[in-house]
Amino acid sequence: MRINDRVFGMLMLILAVAYGWEATQFPIPFGGHESVGPETFPIMLSIILGISSIYMIVRPDPDEKWAPVAMLVELSVVVLSMLAFAWAIEPIGFMPSAALVVSFLSWRMGASITKSLITGVTSSVVIFFLFNNVLELALPLGLLEF
Amino acid sequence: MDTMSLLMQGFAVALTPESIMFAIIGAILGTLIGALPGLGPANGVAILIPLAFSLGLSPTSSLILLTSVYAGAMYGGRISSILLNIPGDEPAMMTCLDGYPMALKGKAAEALAISAIASFIGSLIATIGLVILAPILAKFALRFGPSEYFALFALAFATLGGITGKNQFKTLMAAAIGLMIATVGIDISTGVQRYTFNTLELFEGVDFIIAIVGLFAISELLFFLERHAGDGLKQVAINKLKLSAKDIIKVLPASFRGAVLGFVAGVLPGAGASLGSFISYTLEKRVSDKGEFGKGDPRGVAAPEAGNNGAASGALVPMLTLGVPGSGTTAVLLAMLISLNISPGPMLFQQNAELVWGVIAAMFVGNLVLLLLNIPMVGIFVKLLSIPPKYLMPIVTLIASVGIYSVSHSALDLYFMVGFGVLGYIFRKVDIPLVPIILGMLLGPEMEKSLRHALVLSDGDWSVLFNSGLSIGLWTVAILGLVLPIIVGPIIRAKMAKSKQAVK
Repeated sequence: MRINDRVFGMLMLILAVAYGWEATQFPIPFGGHESVGPETFPIMLSIILGISSIYMIVRPDPDEKWAPVAMLVELSVVVLSMLAFAWAIEPIGFMPSAALVVSFLSWRMGASITKSLITGVTSSVVIFFLFNNVLELALPLGLLEF
Repeated sequence: MDTMSLLMQGFAVALTPESIMFAIIGAILGTLIGALPGLGPANGVAILIPLAFSLGLSPTSSLILLTSVYAGAMYGGRISSILLNIPGDEPAMMTCLDGYPMALKGKAAEALAISAIASFIGSLIATIGLVILAPILAKFALRFGPSEYFALFALAFATLGGITGKNQFKTLMAAAIGLMIATVGIDISTGVQRYTFNTLELFEGVDFIIAIVGLFAISELLFFLERHAGDGLKQVAINKLKLSAKDIIKVLPASFRGAVLGFVAGVLPGAGASLGSFISYTLEKRVSDKGEFGKGDPRGVAAPEAGNNGAASGALVPMLTLGVPGSGTTAVLLAMLISLNISPGPMLFQQNAELVWGVIAAMFVGNLVLLLLNIPMVGIFVKLLSIPPKYLMPIVTLIASVGIYSVSHSALDLYFMVGFGVLGYIFRKVDIPLVPIILGMLLGPEMEKSLRHALVLSDGDWSVLFNSGLSIGLWTVAILGLVLPIIVGPIIRAKMAKSKQAVK
């Protein structure tokens, strides 16, 4: 199958056109037009990207296997858990959110629930104290702050 | 001032207790990272950059720390090659060929010791080469004008895929994507907003440290999950070390040959450490094989190890003197320099002489530390290999995120990091190389500046880009770099695959 490269090439071609078109819309800088302006380099890039995307569409490489749907769902959940960590680090605090995300990741990688929890809690506490007290980089305490 | 006295000044910087401490920490961390299967030097340095950055280390200290991590990771790579038959990264592949058979024969300790000695010789000779070659090249590069620089950047991208590169168009595409990301933000010379969509956070552009960690570390985690690398890997037991002076003398010629070849491969654009270890092994096999290679010949361990460590130091030559990195890890180190407000290139040797020579001297110190560390303490690093990745990878990811968060204390950076991780996963699935993307982000601003500078000086006449012998020479090499792999690449790749096959 040679689908991946075709689809990706198509997306990149759209990006190249949009990016190049946007470059032609830049406002004329103060002092009037020069022979080379802020749009020159971007237009060159959009041409290079365009050419290589067309090559990809015309001569695609064999596909690397995508993971089965179940795995893709799994990966999305993992990505979401990292985004949740990013969201939680300030309001909830570093230690609880890090403990949760590390435990979750280890569990998803196949560790038992108890061992995942131990890994998560220990690593987040150790890293918190290492960063806050030894390296003096303040990590947010969040809910634990009172 | 001559090189010798500059180097002595460098040692004055490198031998302060603080520098020695950073060299030791870097060496230990690097070896740990390199020893873990799946984490190579580029990943390791990428994870540690934000940390070094948020700690507010001085440029000299951060560079000493990170170059020691780099050297350490090259050392560490051999541990998993020898004990698990799993190379930590591509350059470590050739070490599996004789290293693993040696371990199977009950000579794991000898293989580890020999490879440590060979690594030391490789790095030592290459660092001496760096001392001799770098100032010469830097002086030469002072003659570069903007159009030569533009050609040089083009050359860097063209040769990045390496002689073994698969699809040159994909390298080109990746470079274009990286350069495009670099154009986001306010245009320095005119103040025009480009691709910011009026978002305040994008005015200063996209931070490449975030991109590096996302593309390398987070995408690696996703790949790890997909491969279900659940448990610790079975490793060969280590015997008691029995190494005589005779054994060491036997591998010295192989190490010296490998070191020199590796250094040359490292300096040349587009060759890099993989080719360095490959040609060192192949040459050694031709010179001294009497049917023992591939079955656990110590010289087959020494040659590629000396080769890949030589290449690693060799790759620093173009990075420091021209500002053009030859490999993924040196690209990451370049990111570090740029974010410390130091512009690499010929001026570096004049404006920041103390820093450059301090770092070079620190490499000598770091290598000695690594040798002393690696022979008696190899057991500790080996222990680490038995920790299952299911515990280790999440912790590594956490450390990477903490580093990113600490740089500017903004959760938004973490979202960007995860975003780049997903992109990195997709790019790797369609075989788009990641290094040119990073390099594009790094070199983009300078590349555009030299293009515009050249064109303004010539009143918009594009032929200025090809009007000196030097720039024509650079363009020729760039075009060769782009075309040669299409012709020679398949042959070399087939050869590499064959020598790997021969062992199995």
